[in-house]
Amino acid sequence: MVKKELLKNEQIERVLSPHPLSFMKLQTLCIFVIVWGVVAWWLTEYSEYAGLFSGNEWYPLILWGLVMLLVGVIASLVAIQWLIFFLYLGVFLGGAGLVFWQHWESSIPLFIFIYSIAVAIVGFLIVELYRRSHKYVVTNLRIIFKGGILTKRERTIRYDKIADIDAKQGILGQIFGFGTIIPVSQSGFGLGSDKTMAAGGVEVGGTKARLFGFAGGGREVQTPIARSYYELHGVYPYKDVKQLVEDLVQSHVPTQYQREQVEFQKQQVDIQTQMRDLLHKQVGGKPRKRVTQQPVDEEEEEPEEEEAAQKVSRRKIIAPVAPVEEAFEPEQVDIQQQMKELLKKQKVARVNPPEDEDVEEEGEEESEEGEEGKEDGK
Amino acid sequence: MVDFPLTIDALVFAAFAPILGVIAFWFLQLFTIEFQKRLLSQLRHHHEAFCRFTNYIGILFQALSQALGYTVTRSGISSFQVTVNYEKVEPKKEKEGVFEWVAQSFLLFGPFFIPAGLVLLMSYFVVGRGFVYPTLLQYTFIESLTGFLTSLSTFATEFGEFFITLDLFNPLHVGFVCVLLFFGLGIRPSYIGQERKEKIDILRDLIHIKDHLIEKPLYIAVIILILYLFYLFSLFFNPGVYVGLFVLFGWMSLTAIIAILLTVPLLLLIWATDLIQPRWKTVPFLSIPVSYIVARVLLLYQPMNHVEQVSLLVMLFSTFLVTIALIKYKRTNRFKTAVKMKHVRVADGKKGTSKK
Repeated sequence: MVKKELLKNEQIERVLSPHPLSFMKLQTLCIFVIVWGVVAWWLTEYSEYAGLFSGNEWYPLILWGLVMLLVGVIASLVAIQWLIFFLYLGVFLGGAGLVFWQHWESSIPLFIFIYSIAVAIVGFLIVELYRRSHKYVVTNLRIIFKGGILTKRERTIRYDKIADIDAKQGILGQIFGFGTIIPVSQSGFGLGSDKTMAAGGVEVGGTKARLFGFAGGGREVQTPIARSYYELHGVYPYKDVKQLVEDLVQSHVPTQYQREQVEFQKQQVDIQTQMRDLLHKQVGGKPRKRVTQQPVDEEEEEPEEEEAAQKVSRRKIIAPVAPVEEAFEPEQVDIQQQMKELLKKQKVARVNPPEDEDVEEEGEEESEEGEEGKEDGK
Repeated sequence: MVDFPLTIDALVFAAFAPILGVIAFWFLQLFTIEFQKRLLSQLRHHHEAFCRFTNYIGILFQALSQALGYTVTRSGISSFQVTVNYEKVEPKKEKEGVFEWVAQSFLLFGPFFIPAGLVLLMSYFVVGRGFVYPTLLQYTFIESLTGFLTSLSTFATEFGEFFITLDLFNPLHVGFVCVLLFFGLGIRPSYIGQERKEKIDILRDLIHIKDHLIEKPLYIAVIILILYLFYLFSLFFNPGVYVGLFVLFGWMSLTAIIAILLTVPLLLLIWATDLIQPRWKTVPFLSIPVSYIVARVLLLYQPMNHVEQVSLLVMLFSTFLVTIALIKYKRTNRFKTAVKMKHVRVADGKKGTSKK
């Protein structure tokens, strides 16, 4: 990956691509073409049943094509992808067209053998090209997915936007150590629907009609499913990559303890603001403008607050207590009460200290701030 | 009705002859499995994926046997899970007593016979003439044992003939050899368990079987009694039926033994190629199909008898010679570390350092 594409403070953790055997489903289509081509050649030329096909020179080609199309239909129904059928149809029509064009009718069995191997080799090359077009970049901030031969596709997902991780490892994956990891985003990207027997169904006006009398319709199940260029498809070594992604996601998700601390901080700042308003009332009789974005402004405004508190104390010393100030006492008591409750809550939270060192440090900082707040409150 | 002599040999001892035969062949099967596992353990270091594959087949067979046990006992199957490391088959209904014992028997004995039975069914299409049942005349222990062994010998001879006349241009032959290799490589798993791996070997199997058998001695007595009654019953009609029942188990064991022995040259070849430099490693494997095809094509121009056999011999010799030559002249670095150096593989499977 070019460094230009990286964001500020972004570092590459791992660059991955799919394992050579991870596209076995596509490779199986090619393997079938080879195997069936060889079997058809042997069956129509050398086997004891060869005589059955001697009636017409086109019989071997018809047998070869019919079986291939039948397998194509079954595979399409199972995989819910009609592309397989049309692919096999294309191979059959291409072969038939070539025989017709070149007048190779007399040696059709041999043609089937050679043509099958040639088509399968081309298929293998395309699959390999497709595999090599994939590139996954795991950085410390996000995962970048790239893929596609002609149309280049790219997806980027930040770790804090990952809602769920789906991981799967097939038999080949278990044997060779690769697997697929689908990060599902909060918007549901990475989820798809698995329609039972949907391939044979026809939708007519919103209702599913039956095709062939048995197929069609069925349940729709939401399942993690994505294109190979939108998931970490067949990555090796699977366990290490999965652990890495999970760690990175975890490091970007706030823990329960952290959430609680943020909530305490907000409450503290609210109380401090109330206290500040009260002090201003005591000093000038007018409440100061309420601060909404507290955490950032807090440090900057603390000196002002201290100054105001000092001014108040000075006035308290110099001037006798005015009757107007007495009117603020119930509010003061109320604020002090709130602060006490908040401190109690913080103490309870401290009973279960977080495991992570980083979180502990943050917790200490929070408690220090809490103490400061306590002093302020007083 | 058949007339049989009222001797103690005919009434008692003859009944045990085929049982002893089956036990003997089963032990032979166990020893060949153990031998194969020793070979696999030698390869594990460099061929982890290959060993995981064989382990997976073994676990799959075990899971299938267990599932069959639950089906036969009508316990039903609530979950069926097979991975490279472990299997999990759970019944719908937890049955006790005889049913539980029978289901457990399927788990312990099934892997040795059930997959072998399936391969035996397939072998009917290639060695169909080898399925000959014995004919008994004297009803003695020796005759029963001889009949049993004769049936097995006929079967083994047919298998041998199949291998001698193996035609690698025949998809049926190639397919059957592949099935045999597949079955032979994974007849039993080497280990089970993900976190804590339990080693599966001959001792472990025998201890489990012993524990299972002595757990319910009454059941064993009942099974022996049923078998003996079946023997007595068959004496009146055709004693060959009783022996034939055990011959079936003998064929299964023999099929398993042949399949395991067939995998040995493959394992030895893999082991031998580890001694060759990586660049030349694939040459011995390539020489198998190439030499066979070249021999067959050349023999088309020089017609002669026994073309298949000659081609097979050419294939075997050329592969052997190529491997020996490569080991001699293209031997891998001998100063390699005994323990494989840990290195991170990049994603496309090539060896190298990680690009962090």
